[in-house]
Amino acid sequence: MKKTTLSKYRILCILFTYILFAQESWGQVETKPIINATLQGVVIDEQTKQPIEGVTVQLDAVTHSVKTDEKGKFQFVTGQKLPFTLLLSYVGYERQRIVIDTSPAVIQLKRSSEDLDEVVVVGYTTVEKKNLIGSIEKVPLKEVSSIPTGSFDAQLQGKVAGMQVSTNTGVPGEALNIRLRGATSINANNNPLYVIDGVFVNSESLQTINSGGKATSPIADLNPSDIEFVEVLKDAEATALYGSRGANGVILITTKRGKNGQSTKIDVNLYSGRAKAAKLWDLTTGEEHALLVNEYNRNIGRPEPFVSVADGGRGLPSEQQTYDRLSEAFRTAGVHNADISLYGGSDNTAYYLSGGYNKQESILRPISFDRSSFRFNLDQKVNDKIKVGSSNSLSRTGRNQGRAGDGPQGGILQAALHTPTYLSPFNEQGVPVGRAGFDNLTLLLDNYDVGSISLRYIGNLYGEYQLSPSWRFRSTFSLDYNQYDEHEYWNNLLIAGSPDGLATSAIGQATTWINEQTLTYRKKIASVHTVGLLVGNTLQGSTFSLTSATGRGFATNDFTLISAAANTTSTQDWDKYKLASFFGRADYAFDDRYLIDFSLRADGSSKFNKGYQWGYFPAVGLAWRLKREGFLQDVSFINDLKIRSSYGITGNQNGINSFASRLLWSGVNTSYQGSPGIIPEQLANQQLSWEKTSQFNIGLDAALLKNRLSFALNYYYKYTKDGLLTEVLPGTTGFDEYLNNSAEISNKGFELTLNSVNIQKDDFSWSTSLNVARNVNNIEKLAKPMNFGSRDLILFQEGSPMYSFWVYNQLYVDPATGDAVYEDVNGDGKITTDDRQILGSIWPDYFGGISNNFTYKNFDLQTFLTFSVGNEVYNHNRFFGEAGGARDAARIIFASNLDRWQQPGDITDVPRSDGVNNNNYKDGGGRWLEDGSYLRFRTLSLGYNVGSKVLDRLSISRLRIYAQATNLFTWTKYTGLDPESAANGSPNQQGIDLGTPPQPRSFQLGINLTL
Amino acid sequence: MIRNYMLYIAVLVASSSCSSFLEVDPKASISGENVIHDQASANAALNGAYVALRDYYSVNFQSIAYLSGDNVEWTGSQSQIQEFINHRVNAENSTIAATWNGLYESVNRANNIIKALRDNEALDITADERALILGQAYAIRALSYFDLVRIWGGVPLITEPTTNVGENAGVVRSNSDQTYAQILADLSAAEELLPQATNRFIFTKKTVWALKARFYLYQEDWTQAIAYANRLLTDTEYELLNPYYSFFKSNVTGTRESVFELYYNANELNPHRGQWQPQTNGGTRQWAPNAALVSLLTTAATGGARSELIARDNQNRWYGNLYYRSPASDPTYVIRIAELYLIRAEASAHANDYQQAIADLNSVRARALLTAKPASQNQTEILRAIEDERRLEFAFEAHRWFDLVRTGRAQEVLGITESFRLLLPIPYSQILADPVLEQNPGYSF
Repeated sequence: MKKTTLSKYRILCILFTYILFAQESWGQVETKPIINATLQGVVIDEQTKQPIEGVTVQLDAVTHSVKTDEKGKFQFVTGQKLPFTLLLSYVGYERQRIVIDTSPAVIQLKRSSEDLDEVVVVGYTTVEKKNLIGSIEKVPLKEVSSIPTGSFDAQLQGKVAGMQVSTNTGVPGEALNIRLRGATSINANNNPLYVIDGVFVNSESLQTINSGGKATSPIADLNPSDIEFVEVLKDAEATALYGSRGANGVILITTKRGKNGQSTKIDVNLYSGRAKAAKLWDLTTGEEHALLVNEYNRNIGRPEPFVSVADGGRGLPSEQQTYDRLSEAFRTAGVHNADISLYGGSDNTAYYLSGGYNKQESILRPISFDRSSFRFNLDQKVNDKIKVGSSNSLSRTGRNQGRAGDGPQGGILQAALHTPTYLSPFNEQGVPVGRAGFDNLTLLLDNYDVGSISLRYIGNLYGEYQLSPSWRFRSTFSLDYNQYDEHEYWNNLLIAGSPDGLATSAIGQATTWINEQTLTYRKKIASVHTVGLLVGNTLQGSTFSLTSATGRGFATNDFTLISAAANTTSTQDWDKYKLASFFGRADYAFDDRYLIDFSLRADGSSKFNKGYQWGYFPAVGLAWRLKREGFLQDVSFINDLKIRSSYGITGNQNGINSFASRLLWSGVNTSYQGSPGIIPEQLANQQLSWEKTSQFNIGLDAALLKNRLSFALNYYYKYTKDGLLTEVLPGTTGFDEYLNNSAEISNKGFELTLNSVNIQKDDFSWSTSLNVARNVNNIEKLAKPMNFGSRDLILFQEGSPMYSFWVYNQLYVDPATGDAVYEDVNGDGKITTDDRQILGSIWPDYFGGISNNFTYKNFDLQTFLTFSVGNEVYNHNRFFGEAGGARDAARIIFASNLDRWQQPGDITDVPRSDGVNNNNYKDGGGRWLEDGSYLRFRTLSLGYNVGSKVLDRLSISRLRIYAQATNLFTWTKYTGLDPESAANGSPNQQGIDLGTPPQPRSFQLGINLTL
Repeated sequence: MIRNYMLYIAVLVASSSCSSFLEVDPKASISGENVIHDQASANAALNGAYVALRDYYSVNFQSIAYLSGDNVEWTGSQSQIQEFINHRVNAENSTIAATWNGLYESVNRANNIIKALRDNEALDITADERALILGQAYAIRALSYFDLVRIWGGVPLITEPTTNVGENAGVVRSNSDQTYAQILADLSAAEELLPQATNRFIFTKKTVWALKARFYLYQEDWTQAIAYANRLLTDTEYELLNPYYSFFKSNVTGTRESVFELYYNANELNPHRGQWQPQTNGGTRQWAPNAALVSLLTTAATGGARSELIARDNQNRWYGNLYYRSPASDPTYVIRIAELYLIRAEASAHANDYQQAIADLNSVRARALLTAKPASQNQTEILRAIEDERRLEFAFEAHRWFDLVRTGRAQEVLGITESFRLLLPIPYSQILADPVLEQNPGYSF
């Protein structure tokens, strides 16, 4: 930066430095009680009469406080005399102010059914839930952490209104698509920002090997059992402090920590189970296949191939064998989990230490996932003013991988599903051979050798300094380091390794360091004014490097290391970007009744040119707690009522190339005759800058009927401008494309969350939670339509939603001719590309989840259903498998093809076969676009808490034994196996189902034990 | 202590970071202008231009020429490939889009070199080197435009490099005469600049002569075609290898048969074989010799030594075996001496020198271990014999479609009813990206 100009950045720097030192640290004079009286007591749950540990007990008018021990007991030594006024507080219970006139005293605490006093983490600070202005949902992960998936985000499906989780595949630990309040970007990243204990972590896969369009999930490196709760930040008020990365929402993960004054405890969680596909595809037998192929050849006037061998044919249809490959590829998979954690704390120290191991086989051989993880969280008070602490997690995630998506080489379901059933896996000499251009399944499964090991450290170190009761300074250093080591070895029995073996080894490293400072001020003035202030800055650097080597030509299949290869090549990649940010927030509350806040974040990114580097992201939020008004004070059935609204702008630059704005010449793979070359690689776009999303939100929170019924309703409108878009350059320029800020996209919708305690009796309770959301996505501005996916199945165009399906609308099959009749959109009498139209998209009309929790004495029962209504899926497996014999030996034929038109008068929607991509079996035919609506019985879980009498004898504080079923049923009209399946993990190609295993149905038994 | 720490943070924030924190430079690529500034960088840029030529030649461009002929069938599932075989190519076809872009990438890289070397007198480079590099850049541009005009007819003529968004867009198509004139100008410039050397992997004066022989054949300037073919055919550095398969079998490269071939090795891989080889050899065999070609090649009277072009896999299926090497380093054959024999034969037949025509034809037949054609005075019969010979001699090389279109025989031989299909459609994506591009007549977009 030039020294002569006082840039905005420098002004911010100076301001920040000023604020930092302008504050005097005025220490608080400590109250030393005169020791002459003792107060003792025990705190118990009003309902269960069980002692509560960890309750903060404070004497009124003094700062001194103690915590209850394991048996709920507390003790004060004080200079005051009876009666005392005590303040009691504990998470999940109503705050209590009580006058005590006897000692020892027994104090009963009341559970708060809707945890209004619960504390919610909002951008760098915490707020009581009742005073929230933004749209934030908090999910304790406990309820779902035993669902067998690789990553916790998959477990959140159906738990948060407006959070759409598309699981894509039944392979554990693979990346999924999460969309919070729709999608805002075509070519930048649409994933929400993941923040784990304040560390902005990488959520983009480091995978470089081709697994058929899928990618591994870096979020699966985190052990779900270590997560205390997850908060999902949705509106601009909540996300603005995350500025440039808030446009797609923020997922804040808070891991478990020890509590001060809590005795040491050990938690053990174990489960083990089995998973299996709920159903598999219906295929034709060898005979049926042959009949259909003969019929196709008759249709087009060619001789039938399935005639007797004597006549030079392949044998009569009735002579064809049927070979079942599917049951060889699928298996009953094992899922196992073991976690142990140790936590507790003294007055000054709190710790959490855990280890976990999770192993999951995929139902598709030979894929599997395992994760070993370790965590250590520590908080230490140095003195009354200074606190330091650290969060650390180290994990190793191992995967046996296989191509479970697009093919052909190494594609497991290409070999198992797409190979015609009549073809023997052996040739005439009895040698195993691959058919239809795919691998031989047995050879493939036995020789698959593709895997990765992800070594991940996520951690931070913080120091907190209480400058005064109102001012607090915090500084944090964080690190997210991921080493991703992957290998593939294809021996000469497999297509990819023929004729003499192919091995690749790649090591990628992604490092993000973050340094962050915040200064916060919070003060209550004259008992009705609450003022808060926050300023802070963040510096972040992210580096990615990759070194990869490939070897070809191995002496025998016993040699697998690249060093044994006759020919080796290698490559290296490197990328880096930096981000500098300053942020501030001011909030004011009058009488906890009127709440307002304003925040601003300035982000500078190294990805853009000077003059375009800085983005400014402001937000304002307002809330009005009507319940605090006089006119509602006495309305007893309303316990709380709040209206809130916010408006703000957030940004996005994630997922674009770090040097996308520059003129580049490359030297990668450009040598000729072994001498180095250089090529013009990219044209400059000096003006490239931030994608900006403005969002308006209005919401209503209410708690009714003694807090037994509560709901939250939100409406939002998001509009994204300057959307990062890869624009096509005319080929005459010598370039294909460049990145520009030109797309505009809107998302609007509503969300409803409802919680109800239906029955609350001493030994029976029943509660229900429901959430439902609707998002309407629309491309507002896009100069030229863009196609994605196989056969251009997906179209983005102005005026339509993103991820729309672009197909020919098949009206009916003419009963007279057996030919498919398509809608002639432009009415020119011909069916051409002009007649393709948008018929639906992957967006559901409504989606959400319903859970019911029952307890009866020591038993608990949970049911959890998720649903999605109105989304479409393109059944690409069926497109291939329903070509009516025209693909002959090159492809499987599905049993559904037997419903084809055969003779005049037949009423069916499966036309007679006329060849590949002719009229009846056109690429992009609408016949294979199906309704993907579903209602999924996500989990059913039954638990039993062993009674305290037994436990006391074993000195165990808690033991729960449970059985759980996951994905028990899925009600859907979709004819494929799983309406969530997608061949390609790339967001712009969602909803095309090909070669992907379904999410399995699984059963497991487990125990939760606390010592 | 706390004060010191805070002071440290403040200093970190306020000083070091403010000035240069947000400056990050790429390592995998270089950023900036005037990249071609000396002999080394000019040579590197030239290699980059050869890489562009090699990229479009390796699969896409060649496949247009042979798939559109009558030798190859498609066994895969994508219908866009089948469109060539059915001679019903749509404007949305992805192969033509990729080929168009690949060709202009090659043009742009050549333009970068031409501009840097032609206009910049101060460039640190010797005169000989300057001529050598500049001449090759002209030749690369000539070949690229030659390949463009053969597929689409006249195209936009771009002769300056693109340095900013907005440049070299909105240029209307020239007609095919103008395009051929540009090719000739570039070939002549290259001819003048390049030394008369033998190098089978880069352009020399001799390579340019060979290209000119082909150019004049397409222009039906028989005299010039014969004259330029003669320059190569009288050069002892080039000869027909005997038997036919000696130019590609046993992993040979740069044989005396070769006039110009694109170089590959274990580090610079050619993906072409993957389309041809069967699964047991690590390919997809998505392109396979069709029954008619198998019959011609396996019949001794027509195939001869050329039967080595095909082989059978472990399921008794035929596959093309011209591109077979592992690691995949099969050369792309751009001009072989056999083509110059057949150019001279064809031009001579047109110039009524039937004896020369039959003699050249028989030279090519002899090394394929085929019997000699008897003398003939029937021009049509001789031209048909040359046509048939070219079909098998270049069965899997980029000739058949262009030959049949050039001689006006495509409709008859391939059974194409609509004559507009002899020029392929301008890619639809290009018309979207640049509306000044006029579609070839007959196509809907």
